[in-house]
Amino acid sequence: MPGAWHLRAEPVTLVAAGAVTPLGADLDAFWSGLVTGSDGISMIERFPVDDLRVGRGGEIKKLRPLPQGRRAGCRATQILLAAAEDLLARAVVSAAPERVAVVLGTALGGVEQLERALAPGGRARHAVGALYDSPAHALARRLGARGPVLTVGTACAAGATALGAGADLLRADAADAVIAGGYDSLCRFVMRGFDALRSLTRERVRPFDRRRSGLLLGEAAAVVLMTRDGATSGPTLGRLLGHATASDGSHIAAPDPNGRGLEFAVRAALHEAALTAADVDFVSAHGTGTPLNDRIEAEVLRRTLGRRASEIPVNSIKAGLGHTMGAAAALEAIMCLLASREGVVPPTLGLDDPDPACDLDHVIGSPRATRPRISLSTSLGFGGCNAALVLEAPAP
Amino acid sequence: MSVSIAATGTRLEAVAVLTGWGHGIGALPADAGKAAAGRAVIPLGRPTLEGERFRRATRECLLGVAAVDALLRESNISRDAVKGSATALVYVTGGAYGASNRAFVVAESVGRASAVHFPYTAPSAMAGEVAIEFGLTGPYGILIGGAAATIDALWQATRLLAGGRCERALVLAVETFEECVDLYARGRWLVRRPLVEAAACALLVPGALHARYDAPRAPSALESLVRVRAGETLACAPLIALALARDGGGPASIAITGEWRGRRAGIQWQ
Repeated sequence: MPGAWHLRAEPVTLVAAGAVTPLGADLDAFWSGLVTGSDGISMIERFPVDDLRVGRGGEIKKLRPLPQGRRAGCRATQILLAAAEDLLARAVVSAAPERVAVVLGTALGGVEQLERALAPGGRARHAVGALYDSPAHALARRLGARGPVLTVGTACAAGATALGAGADLLRADAADAVIAGGYDSLCRFVMRGFDALRSLTRERVRPFDRRRSGLLLGEAAAVVLMTRDGATSGPTLGRLLGHATASDGSHIAAPDPNGRGLEFAVRAALHEAALTAADVDFVSAHGTGTPLNDRIEAEVLRRTLGRRASEIPVNSIKAGLGHTMGAAAALEAIMCLLASREGVVPPTLGLDDPDPACDLDHVIGSPRATRPRISLSTSLGFGGCNAALVLEAPAP
Repeated sequence: MSVSIAATGTRLEAVAVLTGWGHGIGALPADAGKAAAGRAVIPLGRPTLEGERFRRATRECLLGVAAVDALLRESNISRDAVKGSATALVYVTGGAYGASNRAFVVAESVGRASAVHFPYTAPSAMAGEVAIEFGLTGPYGILIGGAAATIDALWQATRLLAGGRCERALVLAVETFEECVDLYARGRWLVRRPLVEAAACALLVPGALHARYDAPRAPSALESLVRVRAGETLACAPLIALALARDGGGPASIAITGEWRGRRAGIQWQ
């Protein structure tokens, strides 16, 4: 780890959030689904999966139509714009257009458009839509945002990286409001890829469980409105105190066996927040349900949180949603702050028999009544991407 | 309205450029349009790198490795000097993932999609290969977009340095076009001609220059010069501009801009 940080990063306010998930069409459905233990996993219906080993996932069955009959391009853009509509129903973006930034994380962008572009009759808009940054620009157009538009490609850690990049834009006064988050949609491309990797389980997803056998994919979008601390009056979701990323430099598709990158990110995020393990009240784990990820993540949490690791509630929300890739970390950050607001931490679905190799204080079976003030959220992705966020509940 | 902010204390230590025209900016023609002589793409061959690991890697991954390797060799910087968590890597591409994505879609359509190739469809695979090859385990960023995204990446690198989150930062960009030339032809309003494949890398270190990140309306002189001399290199263009500025030995102040999808970003060191 490099030497002492020169700057203590200013906290950034997360004003409000919007989400579309397999649990429902808005943020309220997302939260109530998590707390009640709803299962958003189903057979995928939107495209053929008969030839795949696993044809289940967290598919969004119904999207609300966009206002005024607006049309979105690809599925990913549709989901993203729907989440943005949910956000806009809860908060007003009051900054000047050139001071509004859009920062979105994604693992796949609009890749489904590539399938269309290559099919007979593929059109120019399909070709351009296949560029991974197309959905972010579509959202910027929808918002009338003329500030920076960033697409973050740190795979399944991208939602966290995007929140961090958005915070940095605010801290540097490059924007007055940032719409940040992540999205990804299910399509043949990604289902076939993970199917080929044999990462998908035929059973239920069981993060940190002795019987865990793999992940299932999901589709979702989650966005938050971020402003500089103190720039917003009224209730807020909370604050982002610190963020960090790190590369494993180890393997293209598997996490570093020692979790070096994740450990670096966790320590750096806590350092930026000027906090220590003693301050952490809750951990939202990446918790994919794959044998390797969960063991490595648990080891990193034990190393970084020390003796407190066994006292801090930990959950993973991927069993009920599927791994929503670029959206996952943004959803998990939102979940942390909703847990603080509501005074309850959702359980880890599918976790019945904790693996001794993943020994942590897992939230099992039912929600736990607790009101975390400081939450840590961890994420990993292909290419050796790691990210960590430190979030704080709003002052009572 | 212009957005401007100040970050402090960075210096451009080195920059390396590989393009379809050849190695370094000395290989750039005076006029890329004329030199292309009607060719849609000026390709950059697959680097021949030793090691079993590289056998499966895609051309775009290898180009990223080759660009960093060129930067270190040309600047007499040892690999050990950048290895570890004190070096940040910020990678940018507009569409270099297109080739692997297309290959996977085509393979999938005939039932031949494989576990070997799928991980390489992720843009993060390119940065990942570089991180593995050079042992980079520090702060990590990946941005998707054209030249404006590279300006964003340079700004992120200055932020990482100014905040003490790293001791040096590599900003790497790779663009390939050949495998998707027909698709780019359909998006002609987005990309100009000739399409010139490129890989470029800049090394930033702490220094005395103040970096300003802004949103200028007009292209900088360097942006225009790169367009004329190099052609369309998307995310690589700002790094080529940095190389041209260093080669010119001009004033200490460097101002570069980059445009993508109607948004122009700029960064100025002074």
